Amino acid sequence: MSNPENRKKGTLLWAGGFAVLAFLPLIMNTYITMLVTEILIMGMFALSFNLLFGYGGLLSFGHAAFFGVGGYVTAFLLIHAFPSVPAALLTGGCAAMLAALVVGYFSVRLDEIYFAILTLGFGMMFYALVHQWRSVTGGSDGLTGIVLPPLGVGSFSIEISSPRAFYYIVAFFFLVTAFVLLKIVRSSFGLILLSIRENKERTTFTGINIKSYRLAAFVIAGLFAGLAGGLFALFDRMASPSMMHWTASAEPVLMTILGGAHIFLGPVVGAVLFFFIEHFITKFTDVWMIFLGAILIPLVIFFPEGVLGTLLPGKKRGGKAKNGEGPDDAHS
Amino acid sequence: MTPILEVKHLTRNFGGFQAVGDVSLSVKTGELTALIGPNGAGKTTFYNMLSGKFPPSSGQIFFEGKNITGLPPYKIAHAGISRSFQITNIFSCMTVRQNILSALIAHYGKGASLFSPYGHDVKLIRETDAILVQLGLSQFSDVETRYLAYGDKRLVEIGIVLANSPRLILLDEPTAGMTPEETERMTALIQRLADETKTTFFLTEHDMKVVFSVSQKIFVLHQGQLLAQGTPEEIRENRQVKEAYLGGSLDT
Repeated sequence: MSNPENRKKGTLLWAGGFAVLAFLPLIMNTYITMLVTEILIMGMFALSFNLLFGYGGLLSFGHAAFFGVGGYVTAFLLIHAFPSVPAALLTGGCAAMLAALVVGYFSVRLDEIYFAILTLGFGMMFYALVHQWRSVTGGSDGLTGIVLPPLGVGSFSIEISSPRAFYYIVAFFFLVTAFVLLKIVRSSFGLILLSIRENKERTTFTGINIKSYRLAAFVIAGLFAGLAGGLFALFDRMASPSMMHWTASAEPVLMTILGGAHIFLGPVVGAVLFFFIEHFITKFTDVWMIFLGAILIPLVIFFPEGVLGTLLPGKKRGGKAKNGEGPDDAHS
Repeated sequence: MTPILEVKHLTRNFGGFQAVGDVSLSVKTGELTALIGPNGAGKTTFYNMLSGKFPPSSGQIFFEGKNITGLPPYKIAHAGISRSFQITNIFSCMTVRQNILSALIAHYGKGASLFSPYGHDVKLIRETDAILVQLGLSQFSDVETRYLAYGDKRLVEIGIVLANSPRLILLDEPTAGMTPEETERMTALIQRLADETKTTFFLTEHDMKVVFSVSQKIFVLHQGQLLAQGTPEEIRENRQVKEAYLGGSLDT
């Protein structure tokens, strides 16, 4: 369990991560700063997805719906209602949470492929909605013309529209998301969620109402996906239907599998790799997805625990280091 | 005194097949009771109804006088009934400790604590340690259960059952697939737990040696019907029971 040494190590890791994120912009040019900003946003998105997938055993194929709801609500409020980034983002996150409550209510009753297909269906409905509801969402053009108002209280305010300043906003939200989600997966709730992933039946018979736990996880994941979507809309200065397209739901899935689903930061490492592959290969060819596929296939076959999960042996699946390769039972 | 478990006219049909038909029985508090019967007699179906896996087609189940018929498994668990499964049913990619902790969290309804680390809850840790000691699993506490020997896996399942502090424990073939040594260990454990705790055990078992050595009361199911009930001696002498078991495996 958690001894003081582990806790010290944890604090050091957080301090290290904080320092890296704080000083990175000082050595990066604008292009790289924006790339890292995007990676952090997608990392947040993938982390929220992995609460469901890696910890809850639920493969959601409609997670972009909440990313999109967060993005559209944030964009809409900034354009039409009030010039406050934090208020718009939080409202966007809450709207995504509400959407997740509705979608989750119907979806968490189902398992595996049925759950995946139902969330996919809901995701497509949300996509169709923003695509068709022109008066509010701008249809296929999306909601454009976001202006980032300065951040501040009273007479004190700071500009956040420069790439570097915006990077810090994103880094802040990224750290908060990572911190909160890590807290959750290590909590009693997190252990129950893991139990449900491991053995749904056994968990029910210990006195757990599985649906409510899954729904809670779904809503939490929706909140953070919504925040990530809001940040993405701010980053792009627009909310577009492509944020909600079903292929956008595939991105956190791919990132998580690339990095490793059973290790907390796996999805973030996956996001880094995803962007690295994309930017490296698009220099040579437009069909970078083919190469991504060519990388994913052997990875899934030979390293199902993902890149980070493979590099950090003994920490797989949220468990502890084990005593060698134990005997598999011959009886069962 | 009200029996801890009272079953009235319990019936379960699967399509046109009647797996359990009009079974009525009651289990006395504190009496180690066994449910036996040849393969396909309906024992597991009977257990699945008691623990809420599926509702009966008709009939009622009373636990401590309360009607629990048709409740979902998690409500039955909270009412005070805990069960094990015929095929080992544990959390295989979690450590032994996490397996027990998970059931304790469920029992105390602490699963809603989103931010309190489960590793810091002194009460939960103390109770987990107590269960691990009770079962002799302490040395494996940080091993993922999939790496345990078969007999130890079954013990982990007993640990999960105990973590719920049930007043009635249903064990579905606790020694299935075990070596003779493991069977002996499990039998001794059940005997000891029944003596030490105030829990009532109600078990199904294939191994007649186990049944006759531990139980105080035996019910016999045959083709979904209650064929006989009585003390081990009475059951041993029962002609109908002998016929149901044909080859006479009761002799063992």
